[in-house]
Amino acid sequence: MQAEADRFELKAGGVRGPHLKSAGLSVPRSAHARRRLIRPFRASYRSKPQVTKPTATAGFIAPAVVVVVALMYLPFLYSVYISFTNYDGLGSPRWDGIANYVQLFHDPEMVDAIRNTAVWVVAGVVVPVALGLGLAILTYGIRHGGWYRLPFLLPYAMSGAGVAVIWGFILQPGGALGDVLKTLGLPGSGTAWLSYWPDSTIAMVIASAWQATGVNCLLFVVGLQAVPVAVLEAAEIDGARAFTKLWRVTLPLLRPMTIVVVGLAIVAALKTFDIVWVMTQGGPGYTSTTLATAMYSQTFVADSYGYGAAIAVLLTVVTGLASAVYLKQQVQVGGVKR
Amino acid sequence: MSRLGSAGLLRRAVLIVVGLVWLVPLYLLVVNAIRPSTAFTGTNEWTIPSSFGLFQNVSTAEQSSGLAGSLASTALYSIVSPGLAVVIGALVGFGVSVLQPRRPFFWFMVTFGGAVFPAQMLLVPLFVAYAQLNLYNTHQGLIIIYTALSVPLAALVLRNFFGGVPTHLFQAAQIDGASLWTTFWRIYIPVALSALVAVFILEFTFIWNDLLFGLTLASSNGVRPVMPALASLQSAYGGSTVPVVLAAGVVVSLPPVVVFLAAQRFFARGLALSQIAEL
Repeated sequence: MQAEADRFELKAGGVRGPHLKSAGLSVPRSAHARRRLIRPFRASYRSKPQVTKPTATAGFIAPAVVVVVALMYLPFLYSVYISFTNYDGLGSPRWDGIANYVQLFHDPEMVDAIRNTAVWVVAGVVVPVALGLGLAILTYGIRHGGWYRLPFLLPYAMSGAGVAVIWGFILQPGGALGDVLKTLGLPGSGTAWLSYWPDSTIAMVIASAWQATGVNCLLFVVGLQAVPVAVLEAAEIDGARAFTKLWRVTLPLLRPMTIVVVGLAIVAALKTFDIVWVMTQGGPGYTSTTLATAMYSQTFVADSYGYGAAIAVLLTVVTGLASAVYLKQQVQVGGVKR
Repeated sequence: MSRLGSAGLLRRAVLIVVGLVWLVPLYLLVVNAIRPSTAFTGTNEWTIPSSFGLFQNVSTAEQSSGLAGSLASTALYSIVSPGLAVVIGALVGFGVSVLQPRRPFFWFMVTFGGAVFPAQMLLVPLFVAYAQLNLYNTHQGLIIIYTALSVPLAALVLRNFFGGVPTHLFQAAQIDGASLWTTFWRIYIPVALSALVAVFILEFTFIWNDLLFGLTLASSNGVRPVMPALASLQSAYGGSTVPVVLAAGVVVSLPPVVVFLAAQRFFARGLALSQIAEL
């Protein structure tokens, strides 16, 4: 019964279904039928335009628009402007043309930042998404599945800074990991994992995967709830084994959710900041830096506001491209209307 | 599914083993956070301490980084800002999907579009503007930016939610003579309550766990949120012992973890609402 309610909830595109039900309203299940229900009312009320005075409507929309424009759009535009100046935080910015962007291509720090960000995007997506999918499939439909998922969800509720503190402690030379290796007689007990590339980046990707697996699992479980039981039963009647059912029915039906999860993971990996900043500050030197930490240290440590803004613009372009690709995919798959 | 065959047992065994591996870092966090600083030798990380030093460690952290002030400030930010944001988001959601203005989709996209900018694009202008407007290192300044950051998600969820409420609810209220304001507060807000709670909880944890804006826009112990405070304890210059840093880590992580556990259903619903977005 509860499972049925959950499934309905998802079909109706979010929480609508059950809440309307509890409010004593009923909503037809198909979008088409819903539109048919709503249309006559809407037509009749559009014929009386005085119901929604433009000024009254503006009062509802204005607060959000003002807040977002003042604190997001204007700062965004100002950052773009700053990226063409040599601003250092003192005095006023002086126009510098594309000098900061030219510098991006000649800066050895940017080579490391782009390389590490690429590692984060590949490993930081594949590992937690694959683990999350596996755990979702293993825990879905078994009794107490929620309890089995709990160990993976606890790290997700923690902050990046908290995760960084735990893993920094585990990975320090002679730390918890080193001591285990020593006890087991394995090599590497004295390794300073965070002091050398690529160990440092790999170690931080693992810490991040430890944190991110849980939410991917949760999202895949939500996706699994939307897989119609009837289709699985039909496959079973046709003699499909468990593996065939998984490979041929469940995974293809999970495709829309997989695209959402991968897209979110890519954007999160591109913006990686908290774990790196707390564990290594992008160091030693700038060997473990990412685009986001390079931006921060150029701006607030080196006081090169203009150059930091140029890195931020680069990050925006890359993130925007990734989001566009994934949003387009999502629209094509049909998970999203309009 | 209810039959527990050998496949089911294997499944559970795998889950238990992987789950235990996942809990190891948390075990290390807890046992070393409660270990008295003086008992920490650098080689006894894995043993359960014989005496309980958590409170002593927390009070040491309080002395060196003003943890208590940070906790109070962070609680203020992560309750007030999402509260304001869900109201602002509900207003705009109601405005664009119920009141049917001209170009509702355009106004919605203006609001939701704020979510696409990486935080890095906002830091320098905010830092400069906050310094000029005397908002740098103030509670108001952080409440304002955290509210703004929370509005796009709230707008997205509530626009979608109100779009699914049948129009005859609005019509009935109008026929009964309710003003738009009354219709919004007395009818639409109560109907949307669980969506509002879901967004609030999600944003509570986002703000509580924020590092970047707190690091950039605040500096003093009483204003700085907990995550930058933890980061400064952790840094090489912090000079704190491992148990003190870990104890601070436990204390600052508890609120979001407890909220998450208590409201897991809402949390999952908020995630589903925000991520399977019907644009």
